[in-house]
Amino acid sequence: MADKSNEKVLIKGNYAIAQAAINAGCQCYFGYPITPQTEIGEYLSGKMQELGRAYVCAESELGAINMVMGAVSTGVKAMTSSSSCAVSLMQEALSYASSDELPVVLVNVMRTGPGLGYIYPAQGDYNQAVYGGGNGDYKLIVLAPSTVQECVDLTYRAFYLAQKYRNPTMILADGLLGQMMEPASFGEYPYPEVDVSSWALTGAKGRDARKIYSVATDEKKQIQHIYDLHKKFEVIAENETTYEEFNTEDADIVLVAFGSMTRNIKAAMNVLRAKGKKVGCFRPVTLSPFPYKALKSLADKGKDLVVVEMNMGQMLKDVKYAVEGKVNVSFVSRPCGEWLSVEEIVDAVEDIMVSNTSKSIQPGSVKEVSYAAARA
Amino acid sequence: METNFILAGFGGQGILLAGTVLANAFMLEGKNVTWYPCYGAEMRGGTVNCEVVVSDTEVSSVHKQDTDYALVLNQQSFDRFVQRVKKGGTIIANSTLVAESKPRNDINYVFAPMGDIANSLGTSKVTNVVSLGVLSSVCNIVSKEYLAKGVEKVLGEKKKDLLPLNEKALANGFDALLTKV
Repeated sequence: MADKSNEKVLIKGNYAIAQAAINAGCQCYFGYPITPQTEIGEYLSGKMQELGRAYVCAESELGAINMVMGAVSTGVKAMTSSSSCAVSLMQEALSYASSDELPVVLVNVMRTGPGLGYIYPAQGDYNQAVYGGGNGDYKLIVLAPSTVQECVDLTYRAFYLAQKYRNPTMILADGLLGQMMEPASFGEYPYPEVDVSSWALTGAKGRDARKIYSVATDEKKQIQHIYDLHKKFEVIAENETTYEEFNTEDADIVLVAFGSMTRNIKAAMNVLRAKGKKVGCFRPVTLSPFPYKALKSLADKGKDLVVVEMNMGQMLKDVKYAVEGKVNVSFVSRPCGEWLSVEEIVDAVEDIMVSNTSKSIQPGSVKEVSYAAARA
Repeated sequence: METNFILAGFGGQGILLAGTVLANAFMLEGKNVTWYPCYGAEMRGGTVNCEVVVSDTEVSSVHKQDTDYALVLNQQSFDRFVQRVKKGGTIIANSTLVAESKPRNDINYVFAPMGDIANSLGTSKVTNVVSLGVLSSVCNIVSKEYLAKGVEKVLGEKKKDLLPLNEKALANGFDALLTKV
């Protein structure tokens, strides 16, 4: 279906992630089926075998993520993929992998929560991805694709960043992106191979034995370890924070969204621009590290912000934190399911430009909205 | 300029495949396009649908409340999606399985016996491709030539032997409104 050529193919987000993982040199995939990401495992179950690489349908998500930890500790690239409620099962391992500095790559194609929820697309795992569900001071690198092409590009980047910084890296997609098809091209994996020879567990023949573990009985060493992890993340934030801006230069108000909602806010911006309203868009590509500085600079220029999310206000808090109360931050949301339509966003933003309130929108009832005053 | 299509029918009628062919046709024509299925606990015999959006610029949203064109292959899909056609939009129905009724007077109706046309080619399995032929005959932005290329792309090398049958299905669908079967 897809290969390394630059020819565009019509492909599902899930398949795009899977093929990009192959191109990136992923040697092992461990996973357990769950809608809406099952196609990733389905695709790799055949392809990995053809390529002589490893595919294991694990006994559980817990098993899968621990298998990935084992595989990447030997220096090879490996990944798992899952969805929301099952990614919850992997949180302990992510805390361990962060402490062990293991380049785990994990794909979360979000569905609805909390609990088992259902298979509708949602963006409710922002907090879990960015702030972590495991214990201790750690951070994942979190990349949020907004198109199928970016499912390819950010999967490439995830494998590179994971090894470059020896840090678990998550691709945070959603059910809409996983299930939809769109033209995308793959091309070659664009990043250099990272030298892992200084730490990978490859057998101690001819060298001293190595250990990778997270237990820390020596207090001083543990303190230093946490400082080192923290410092590493500051370097990541300095070097790897990425975002997109559209028409922010002359904008009075800027819409902020992540992932596949980006498409809808850009379309809403175009509608509002056509009506003579000065509206821009901002979209973090890396959710962690988060583009605080770039948002602060928009606030310094006095631009009000409207955060649009398919959750009850998760990235909203980071945006508010970034702007330090300097401008109004409003919020337009629906918890899950049918993505906020362009018309709903346009309506909401027009109201906000008048009143600066926030709104939660029920499906199919654009006009009947409940207002909840919320100023940053 | 953006146009969207909902394709709907029974599970097993090849609705998702028809949408895939349509989306491939648009891609091969160099347009921006998205395809989004209903997904989840679907089953054979249940209803299934997918949405295709095509645009000269970036696609605005993948999943919309209403549609410019609805292509429906069974009665349940007709009843459901006739409500979601925009004012002035068009519903194109398989009259082999759909009663020719017009519950709204602000949209256009096209009825063609897609199932009968497919059967006359020897198999009801190509009803979906026949329906695309009908669609291209009533919708200017769907090119018959690129649909043929889309079919070829979707069939691939493996199922190349099915290409002549599908090309015939497309052509007969395209001519359906001009000739009676």
